[in-house]
Amino acid sequence: MQKKFESVLMPVATKLGNNVVLRSLRDGFLIITPLIIVTSIFLLIGNFPIPGWENFWTGILGPHWMEWFSAVSNSVFSFTGILSTIGIGYAYGKNRGLEAIHAAIVALVSFLILTPTSFNVGKTAVSAVQTMYVGPNGIFLGIFIAIFSVEIYRFVVRRHWTIKMPDGVPPAVSQSFDALVPSAFVILAFFLVRVLFSLTSFETAYNFIYTMLQSPLKHVGNSLPSVLLYNFLASLLWCFGINGPTITNSVWSPIFFVLTQDNLKAFQNHLPLPHIYTQPFIDIFTTYGGGGSTLSLLIVMFAVCKSKRIRELGKLAILPGIFGINEPIIFGLPVVLNPIIAIPFITVPVLNTLISGLVMTAGWVPRTNGVLLPWTTPPIISGWLATGSWTASVLQLFELILGILIYYPFVKMLDKQYLGEEQAAAKKDLDIDFSEV
Amino acid sequence: MKAIIILDQMQAGLGGKERADTPLGGQRVAMGSADTTEKALAKNDGELLGTFYCGTDYYAENRELVQRKFTKMAEKMGADVVVIGPTYDYPEFAQMACEVATAFQTQTKIPAIAAIAEEKNADLIAQYKDQLTIVRAPKKGGTGLSDAVDHLAEGAALLAKGEDLGAFKSSYCY
Repeated sequence: MQKKFESVLMPVATKLGNNVVLRSLRDGFLIITPLIIVTSIFLLIGNFPIPGWENFWTGILGPHWMEWFSAVSNSVFSFTGILSTIGIGYAYGKNRGLEAIHAAIVALVSFLILTPTSFNVGKTAVSAVQTMYVGPNGIFLGIFIAIFSVEIYRFVVRRHWTIKMPDGVPPAVSQSFDALVPSAFVILAFFLVRVLFSLTSFETAYNFIYTMLQSPLKHVGNSLPSVLLYNFLASLLWCFGINGPTITNSVWSPIFFVLTQDNLKAFQNHLPLPHIYTQPFIDIFTTYGGGGSTLSLLIVMFAVCKSKRIRELGKLAILPGIFGINEPIIFGLPVVLNPIIAIPFITVPVLNTLISGLVMTAGWVPRTNGVLLPWTTPPIISGWLATGSWTASVLQLFELILGILIYYPFVKMLDKQYLGEEQAAAKKDLDIDFSEV
Repeated sequence: MKAIIILDQMQAGLGGKERADTPLGGQRVAMGSADTTEKALAKNDGELLGTFYCGTDYYAENRELVQRKFTKMAEKMGADVVVIGPTYDYPEFAQMACEVATAFQTQTKIPAIAAIAEEKNADLIAQYKDQLTIVRAPKKGGTGLSDAVDHLAEGAALLAKGEDLGAFKSSYCY
């Protein structure tokens, strides 16, 4: 059974994990993630979930204090489309063996070529870029532009269609000429794309991608079946020793990214939060203590197990576990290739996803505000910060306990097996005494 | 075939990187990830005598002591073969694996086999692959772990019986 599963799963997982486009998307988003976390903190301070917070600081700092904080959060949240383009252009260029910074700049310029640069205010045309085009709604367009622009660039570079400088020309000059022809091809291509779209009813590439792709994909991704599948696959792969989320994220991360950014924008503008299934939903309301929701597992190991190995590991790993570090149990219990633990390791996150999704759909717990918390933020605190409501902490606590109940019989089974082995070994001394040699 | 498995503190289930100072030790059972390897060994008529472990920092500071204790104890316990890893791509453990395996090959009659990932360890593997039996294994979170463990056990059985490893090495080793 296990072998059969593996023979089907492995090739797919390997393919997805090694696909250079998907890998570059993941790496590209990772480049801007630290910035999102830092600016999220500014957003959170400006909108801390305590009643009277805003008025309290207005009394001390004056009416403009909110603007100071939103200036920082805007610097990233209003430009996620353009930042993604640069990040993905960079990552894709690097993964394709190009000079990464050249790739990033080429992607950026291509994005700007397709961006409308004037709009009408009343009857006058104003020359400006609307943040609508460069923010969350431009992320999918940015992905396409980054991949295609760098691909065209690479096509020309690989064919050595460059202007050859005579010997004796300084290297700095000849290198700059090396980039000339590839850049020309990219710019010409995007010039044509812009012209073509202006001839259609879509008018811009932005409108085309947004209506034809981003909007429908968002709709599909922002659903309970989608996130259930995500967490099922992520946990299942870990049971075979494969880092599940790196595989599943290569498919889902663009969608989660957009959904999260939509909520952040709404939160910043004090509008109703549009989506339930965001990245913080996945991070904060489906697993506790890392993949497989292993904090529940650890508590069982720590509190009720009798075998020396399991109890010791529980003791050692509980503190890192609270902060989401579960490497010691994944390999040390072990979780990988352990059919007994695989059942709760998959069931618990899937069940948590189902419960959290239903509870938020019913409105008992508010939706996540999109703020990306550092991944080490412990549960209960993370729930409150991500939604601004204590009910979220209650949900987390409930799911943590439910996880304990589900893990319990399986861990006990393992405990019994280990205890038996230890007792058998204890007859001839469990510990090997190295002072004898 | 009577085997001993050697692991670092993480794989033995004794905590993460912060526990790299764990001194050498051992138990007469399969500790941590040795549980999986033990099952694979059993399929090859193997029996596990025990697990030896050592924190990677402790090892780096006490190389000779650890090598001496491990080799002497394995001889004393009557091991037919020593299995090290899988080390995944953890470079400190991979280093320890190669050095300990070398110690077994030069100082004892007990053959040793290790499983190491190529990632982060390319130079190390290039240095040791000819004199040691190093099975190809995935990095942490990579694909093909189950196969690597099976190959590790299969290789251990061949080594213990003193059979020819030519075909095995060319299919599954570096």
